[in-house]
Amino acid sequence: MTSHLSAATIAAKFRAASRPLGLALGLFMALSAPPVAGAAPAETGGALPRAANGKPDFSGLWQALSTADWDLEPHHARKDAPPGLGVVVGGEIPYQTWAAEKRKENYEKRETLDPRNKCYLPGIPRATYSPYPFQIFQGDTHLTLLYEYAHTARTIYTNDTKHPSGHIDWWLGDSRGHWEGDKLVVDVVDFNDQTWFDHSGNFHSDALHVIENYSFIDPDHIRYEVTIEDPKVFTRPWTIDLVLYRHLEKNFQLLEYECYTFDYERFYP
Amino acid sequence: MSEHRIFALVAGVSLALSGAAFASEWTPKRLPDGQPDVQGFYRPEIAGTYSLVRPRRGVGIRDQEEYDKRKASNDLSKSRVVDPPDRLVPYQPWARDKQQALEASALNWTQPEHIDPQARCVPGGVTRTIFWTQDFEIRQYPGYVVFLDDQNHTSRTIPLDGRPHIPEKIKLWMADSRGHWEGATLVVDVTNDNAKHRLSNEGDFSSDKVHIVEKYIFTGPNSFRLEQRYEDPSVYTKPWTIASEFTRAHAKEPSYELWFNECQEGERDVENLYHGDKTKPY
Repeated sequence: MTSHLSAATIAAKFRAASRPLGLALGLFMALSAPPVAGAAPAETGGALPRAANGKPDFSGLWQALSTADWDLEPHHARKDAPPGLGVVVGGEIPYQTWAAEKRKENYEKRETLDPRNKCYLPGIPRATYSPYPFQIFQGDTHLTLLYEYAHTARTIYTNDTKHPSGHIDWWLGDSRGHWEGDKLVVDVVDFNDQTWFDHSGNFHSDALHVIENYSFIDPDHIRYEVTIEDPKVFTRPWTIDLVLYRHLEKNFQLLEYECYTFDYERFYP
Repeated sequence: MSEHRIFALVAGVSLALSGAAFASEWTPKRLPDGQPDVQGFYRPEIAGTYSLVRPRRGVGIRDQEEYDKRKASNDLSKSRVVDPPDRLVPYQPWARDKQQALEASALNWTQPEHIDPQARCVPGGVTRTIFWTQDFEIRQYPGYVVFLDDQNHTSRTIPLDGRPHIPEKIKLWMADSRGHWEGATLVVDVTNDNAKHRLSNEGDFSSDKVHIVEKYIFTGPNSFRLEQRYEDPSVYTKPWTIASEFTRAHAKEPSYELWFNECQEGERDVENLYHGDKTKPY
């Protein structure tokens, strides 16, 4: 089972982030391969998919099968949400007192206040468990993540670069990743305070600091553990733990969920 | 493939206009999966989507004067349309009327449908996006070419594995792309366009039956020529082709990163078009 990440562990992860990666770039030139090998069908069972540089290869189409987008915490069904056991390790989000009040208020006004209902960019980690598929493209120096929801797009740099200086307000933050063995650890900061974690009013400030951990359970499942820190809102860091499932349908691809256009598409027949 | 041959002839005619060779002589580096390595940032020779036939770079007074002059004198020498030879989009008569009405109403709007959808932050489709975005980056992965645009965080995923297009019923803002490499030329077949975006501020449009064939002809390590052939018998009298040269951007900044721009998140331009008059629908 998932262990809760202590502050010391988090600090260790930061130190690790500055370690040179020592990538064996471009040494595995399979020049005998036919021009454009095409997207190989996803493996089912057996060894983990690996990139030419030996790292686990998360390329593919993924989706969470979880009700986390509606409510991270354990919840029974309601008119606007399917039920769920919750994905917060320990069950509850450790809000400061004022923040627990604000969360309650958010919940009451969720239909109008949830940024998802305005089709804004969903923030991280919500993009991952929004109920839409997303695609990971993995390169040696970065990963590109494209999401069906609102053309959300994100780069996770794995080239040993650091976050840009200064605080920048971004909907998706700034993502810098590194490998710890077969685990991809991504440090995300520079958020704005506009996104919610779910449709139940769980929120954060611009001091949000997200640490994502991606690791294969088997070739078609990723364990996605995320530690969330925000000293302005929570009493301590907390963790969510969920599973990402690989889409195995033949020729599966992302379509578009361009939700902000629905209201005026009628003007452009 | 005969369609490609016809296209090659058409493109050949356009050589005189740009001086670019149709077939690239350049031998690119190869990626492990065999693709030519063309990754990086590129910019069109004239950025901006104000007009297909009188493209202009900016919105300043001098740009406006120059544009007005070309319009008044019917100067199409810079038209992106390289075929047909008259450099105009070959609209059917009803479609020309519609294009002109859209152009006029976009500048003097009174109804929601008059507003150029670009002002609403919609994805601009395959033509408008590549000419409009500030930063455009090509990334390549085994079996895929991915286009990323900073404006509106738009992207295109181009599978290279020969899979069929998605069902015709499905229409997408950024359409559905299937690509393959012919030497150093990326050929992309584009269908399933919802055609709700326009092709320019001048009201140029297609229908959702449009079929676009794109050629990204990489002519060297730092340049490509884009040709897009539009075919839509429901709107045009014949197919037509636009072409533009692109050159590498940020070449001397190896650490330059694509930072996506938001648009509709907090977008207020459309409201401003109504000067705060909330009684008007938008």
